Amino acid sequence: MTGAVVPGAMAVILGGGVAGAWMLRRAWSLKAGKAPWRWAGLSLLSLSILWPAWVLGEARGPFTALTLLSVAAFAVIASGYTLRPAKAGRAAREGLAPEPAERAPSAWRTTLRWSLAGPIGMVAAMGLGISYAVWAPGEMQTRLLIGGLIVPLAWGGAMAWTLADSRILRATAVLVGTAIVGFGAAMLKGFT
Amino acid sequence: MTKTKKGAGFPSPDLVRAVLKGHSGLGLAFAALLYLVCLTGTIAVFANEFQRWENPGAERMETMSADAVQAAYRAAIDRTDGPVEHVLILMPSEDRPWPTLRVDAADGTQTTWIADSAGRIMGEVRESWTKFLTRLHINLHLPQSWGIFIVGLTGVALLSSLISGLLAHPRIFRDAFHLRLGGSRRLQEADLHNRIGVWALPFHFTVSLTGALLGLSTIIVGAIGLAVFQGDTAKVYAIFTPPHPAADARPAPPLDLRPLFASVDARAPEGRISYLAVEHPTEMGAAALFEVEDGSSRLANADSYAFERTGKLYHEQKAARNNVGQQILGSLGLLHFGWFGGGVIKIAYALLGLGLTYLAAGGVNIWLARRRDKGRPAPGWERVWAACLWGQPVALAGVAIVALFTPLVGPLIWTWAAVSIAALGAAALFPPATLSRIGRAGTGALLIALAVAHPVFRGIGDSMALIVDGALGLIGVGLLAASIGQVSVFRRRTLQAT
Repeated sequence: MTGAVVPGAMAVILGGGVAGAWMLRRAWSLKAGKAPWRWAGLSLLSLSILWPAWVLGEARGPFTALTLLSVAAFAVIASGYTLRPAKAGRAAREGLAPEPAERAPSAWRTTLRWSLAGPIGMVAAMGLGISYAVWAPGEMQTRLLIGGLIVPLAWGGAMAWTLADSRILRATAVLVGTAIVGFGAAMLKGFT
Repeated sequence: MTKTKKGAGFPSPDLVRAVLKGHSGLGLAFAALLYLVCLTGTIAVFANEFQRWENPGAERMETMSADAVQAAYRAAIDRTDGPVEHVLILMPSEDRPWPTLRVDAADGTQTTWIADSAGRIMGEVRESWTKFLTRLHINLHLPQSWGIFIVGLTGVALLSSLISGLLAHPRIFRDAFHLRLGGSRRLQEADLHNRIGVWALPFHFTVSLTGALLGLSTIIVGAIGLAVFQGDTAKVYAIFTPPHPAADARPAPPLDLRPLFASVDARAPEGRISYLAVEHPTEMGAAALFEVEDGSSRLANADSYAFERTGKLYHEQKAARNNVGQQILGSLGLLHFGWFGGGVIKIAYALLGLGLTYLAAGGVNIWLARRRDKGRPAPGWERVWAACLWGQPVALAGVAIVALFTPLVGPLIWTWAAVSIAALGAAALFPPATLSRIGRAGTGALLIALAVAHPVFRGIGDSMALIVDGALGLIGVGLLAASIGQVSVFRRRTLQAT
């Protein structure tokens, strides 16, 4: 890659990002005739993620694009901000997200919930990741890395679920079961 | 086909409220840690630039000859008391255009030297600020394994918050372009929180996933070792690292690197040696591992060559033949710190990193504003949170000033801890608005002082040092101006009220 290619490609990605986000904003602000702008915006953003793979590298290009597109899109949003008068506070309630659920306080349920989100979720996620590494086809390094990536993803998912689900015993059963099955399956076969 | 009843789609209002409850609880539990890790990570994107800033007098070069490396390596070994375990040589690069040689002595001490283009040792590298900052981000200066795990756990909490945040956002498309500032504080904070969260989602996802994996790697490897290798974690690491040469502890003259450089040049004439690690250089069983960037556009583009003392190549790994797992492993650090696209990507990562830091801060602000709206304000927590938010920039700027005068990391940790505790103490004395104003003004003044003091005390030999000083000074002026603006708005409101 020559010196001018990379900055040139980045400038085009940023331009594509600004144009794509602007088209989507136009679709969002119209009362009718949204579809053409929406599709044009989505297509331009998708293209801006894809073409850098050929110019900047098959992984480097899309990651560069995703990074720059986020900045470009936020620049478009920031440029369209609205300034509300100080007294608009009360009228703004309708724009707010729903209120979080209220739960009756219970020490044992809170302890169990955070145990599920923390250590039990971690063990279950590890069971999933390790059983993937052991049982999935492919090269050892690939299985281990993908198995490793599964761990934080599954743990994060388990955290989100257990902290939200009011049926806490169901979550307990699923996570404990996943941990037992995951580790059991891994130990049954061994790493080859 | 029948139309779905309004309000009965996915996610249902009950699910949204339940997920919001979890999102809020998790965000509050990890808020301070998330804020600290995100803030330090944002600054650590520029770790290489800060290393140059700390060593403005180092001679800059594009390459270094094998003879010069050999001379520097011999000189570094000669300066070490007792046997040498390893020597790690980082070659000059675009990001950091001078070489360093880290010597690990058998007694556990580590010394890192800077060399010039002739291979003369120019002195120990100064890296107290960079080391303080990166270690604070990586392990919070706690014992290594615990600290890294806690930061990894923070990454998981961030991932989880991203998942629950998306599920709890049923108006994700309807609100996609709303950015309403002023008026209701809660609405403003919610708009900023949601817009930054959604539009920078690929970045948030990438840094939290890579960070969580890097942080949890030790415990994951331990679990794999326990489950399938009878507790032998070395077998897991061996899958990713080059094999070790046969051990032979008989004393020998330091390994001659020059023929090995020639051998690497012959094998990879287009490559650029990025670093080499010499194992047990003064033993018969000495070995050297070369990492050579192959010049391709791959993210993980380093070939590896490992040689025995005799010059025999015992390990060769070409980046072009890496499998998916090896490519992911080689890309994790680059993607996490934004070191894959030069200055533009670093600046973009810093901006997005600031956004992520704001997400962590704004989540608590929304919670506090919601409580106030509902007539259940938490003034104590409002003060503590304002002290946390503004205490850290003040502490970090103070640490950077202290780093001008000491090469040791210890005093920096004490400075950071003292300022952080003092900021929390100030929460008992001042209301949140005053804390925020003092924090802004303090950080601004310290950054301006830093930008002025650095060239005076450390010199201006490197243009990067000047750029960093300029940037710090500008940020300082901006913060000071914002603080003064805040004061005048406050006065105007007070006058109007009276």
